[in-house]
Amino acid sequence: MIGRLLDALAGRVTAADAVVKTDDTITLSISPDGDTRVAGARSQLSHLRVARQGRIGFASTTGDEDAELVGRAMAGAASGEALELFLPAPAPLPAVVTREPQAATADAEELHALARALYERLTRTHRRVEAWAERSTGSVQVASTRSVLAGYEVSVAGLGAVVESIGAESAPPCRVHYAAVALPALRDVERLVDEVSARLDPPILTGAGAIGSGPVYLAPRAVAALLRPVRAALTGYEALLGRSPLRGRLGEQVFDRKLTLLDDPLAPGRPGSRPIDDDGVVSRRVTLVDRGVLTALASDLLVGARAQVPSTGHGWRMPNAATRVGLTNLRMEPGTEDPGALLGGLSRGVMIQDLEWGGGANPLAGTVVLRAPWAYLVEGGLIRGRLEGVTLFGNVFEVLNRIAAVGNDPTWVGAQELPSLVVEGLTVACDR
Amino acid sequence: MKSRILDALGLSRAGYTELRVRRVWSTTVLVRGRSVEVATSGVETGGLVRCSSPGTGWGMMGFSGSDGLDAPVLRAHELSLAATSRVPVILAPITVRQHESATPLDDDPREIPLTEKRQRGETLAASLFGPDRRVVSGRILLRDEVVETWLATSEGTWVHDLRSEVSVAALAIAEEEGNIERALGSLALRGGWRAAETGERLVRDVAARAVELLHAAPVRPGRYTVVLDPAAAGALVHRAVSHLARPALPGADPDVLPMGTRIGPECLSVGDDPTAVGLRGTSVCDDEGTGTRRTPIVQNGVVVGHLHTRETAAAAGQAPTGHARAAGLRGAPHPRPTNTYLAQGSGSFEDLLDGIPAGIYVADTLAAEADGERVGLRSGAARMIRHGRLAEPVKGVNIEAGILPLLGRIDAVAEDFCWDGQRATCRDGSAGVVSVSTGAPHVRLLDVAVGEGYS
Repeated sequence: MIGRLLDALAGRVTAADAVVKTDDTITLSISPDGDTRVAGARSQLSHLRVARQGRIGFASTTGDEDAELVGRAMAGAASGEALELFLPAPAPLPAVVTREPQAATADAEELHALARALYERLTRTHRRVEAWAERSTGSVQVASTRSVLAGYEVSVAGLGAVVESIGAESAPPCRVHYAAVALPALRDVERLVDEVSARLDPPILTGAGAIGSGPVYLAPRAVAALLRPVRAALTGYEALLGRSPLRGRLGEQVFDRKLTLLDDPLAPGRPGSRPIDDDGVVSRRVTLVDRGVLTALASDLLVGARAQVPSTGHGWRMPNAATRVGLTNLRMEPGTEDPGALLGGLSRGVMIQDLEWGGGANPLAGTVVLRAPWAYLVEGGLIRGRLEGVTLFGNVFEVLNRIAAVGNDPTWVGAQELPSLVVEGLTVACDR
Repeated sequence: MKSRILDALGLSRAGYTELRVRRVWSTTVLVRGRSVEVATSGVETGGLVRCSSPGTGWGMMGFSGSDGLDAPVLRAHELSLAATSRVPVILAPITVRQHESATPLDDDPREIPLTEKRQRGETLAASLFGPDRRVVSGRILLRDEVVETWLATSEGTWVHDLRSEVSVAALAIAEEEGNIERALGSLALRGGWRAAETGERLVRDVAARAVELLHAAPVRPGRYTVVLDPAAAGALVHRAVSHLARPALPGADPDVLPMGTRIGPECLSVGDDPTAVGLRGTSVCDDEGTGTRRTPIVQNGVVVGHLHTRETAAAAGQAPTGHARAAGLRGAPHPRPTNTYLAQGSGSFEDLLDGIPAGIYVADTLAAEADGERVGLRSGAARMIRHGRLAEPVKGVNIEAGILPLLGRIDAVAEDFCWDGQRATCRDGSAGVVSVSTGAPHVRLLDVAVGEGYS
């Protein structure tokens, strides 16, 4: 289809590029009483961008109607943004693992075995457990009038659970998940089980007293939530032309020297891995923050053209959207201290396993209010118990300038590889 | 389309089969600052087949496009055979109906040229900046959507529905002497393209709120009497009441409010009304083909009803209420709220303020979130109440409390009920996002802990 689309535009446009994505997903879920449900979905997305008479137009469809799609993209260009767009030339693609055959062909039976293994390991008296396993497989094709014609096959496997402790030691839903190109191995299942135990096993503490703004230990899943404003500030329009606090600060020391962030589409077998972006720009690793110094801001062709900077290969196409700039796999460079030593360094503080992202008063500026249902009081390096009703307040950009330590435990949380952090500057409020 | 759907449905060997096809035409105009950044249109078609047979669980197959409906029907049956269910899938009986409401739309947004929509977006952006130079940046998102749905079941239900909606969302950023504040607002109206002409007032209000925040002091944390405006009160009852009135699927142990439980004072009556005219959650039939009906959830502080799909209704021994809603093109139906309301009480807004020496008026909500037994409300615009009157604006108002303790602090509900016109959505994990509306009068709560959401 992608070739037909561009053929239909020959001689009618200055430039055009198109993306066709297909997906075939099976999800198997096990309910708390052990029943299973199986859902499948097959979908296709075609996204077309044209440049005509100095303006840009877009259109997308989930069907095969080429002529109709072309007509709508041309109409979009007649009303679209006035912008000169330079499409990339063809280039060799780097090798990167984006598909694993066993995951791509997994059927409901294999998914059932995975979900059941997790479900049974998590099931205890006074617990309500839901588990699911999923695999998706598909393809991405990218083409342009500059002769780019590339494609790659993808697979993503997921495994997750929601566990609630009921009765006297009731707890909010504890959500854990795994995602990668390959099916999870037994050690990945055990890791999820250990994570649930670490959260649910400590007793609930009451009357812990004031916590204030001492050091806070953030486990990798909590670090992922805390980084959300940073991801937004590093990415797209807001970073290059908008209100990001990082705009115009390339080369400056913007974070603590212990912080290095890398976007890595070439990480083998991860959810964001790809050899080429949806604009046809060949993927490469991009260091965003190097020992606290801002070294790059992520852009795609369109935002890059507006800001007059080159694309960093972060273009994505979505249904019913123009284009979107987004990171691929975000990796934080680990430190040297193991998590036990980090905890041992806390005479009195709080360890946060996970955070509920609830936005913030001004998230782009970094001011956040984060509920922490998985917060634990640490005294003398030991976990005393779980705290209820904990909320964290602070400014993420200020907090990341006050990193006390970075753990040596890089852990993949979806498309992010993050270590534990100990930070200062977060106010911990506990209303119980 | 009808014959293709019925032919495909006829191929199913499952005990029960449901086939839904949905097509969405949409146009988006995004104006950033004063420049149109995006003017684009999309057409998406897709659907879901759901099957179950005696001794099996549900098998579901989502698809895109509308060609080749046979394959997803057969695949859904295969998947249902891979599922297991200790309790058989039982659907509460409904009246089998043939509902055809896909009449041509008046003022159909699909007939309006993209150039005209672009001009409308530019006009709204001009209103955002208006005469006040402190509004330095902003964004207008103008969107229209026409949704056509076909639903058929092996029981003989046939539903064909066509609806349209136009929405405007505005973001204003104001700046003065290095201080930056922002305000958000949205408006969504069912109907034709002319609905977009009503966005000017919203845009001017959003700009004015951003400017007002420049001089708002951070709220002083403490315990206050709080008065919620209808939008905030509606958001609270949607998140804290109607979400907990949805039984999970059979076998699950949901956080549902048990029938007969007292959750608030006599003045608290809450319900959900998918039959209310012209709202985002309004429909004649739900996504299982059940006729919708107004459902009381809480009457005088006591839980009296739940929102049901056919499956949850059968498990509870009740009648379906028409609240089976499927998110997006390929979502499965789940019990979801539609238009949640807090019923009107007595007395005026001024009566609620009367006698409050120092309180807080929450005039907007940025977010209402609930997790387990707790709910959080963050205000986008708030004012102090001093000596029974609205006083200076404050910012960063953040209410975080247990759901039942907070509802228990309601002490008065005014008579000034209105539906909220915002582009509200209900998010619920894997069940996806559906459009909703809320309606409420002003509400007063006593002795509420208010925290500061700014650092």
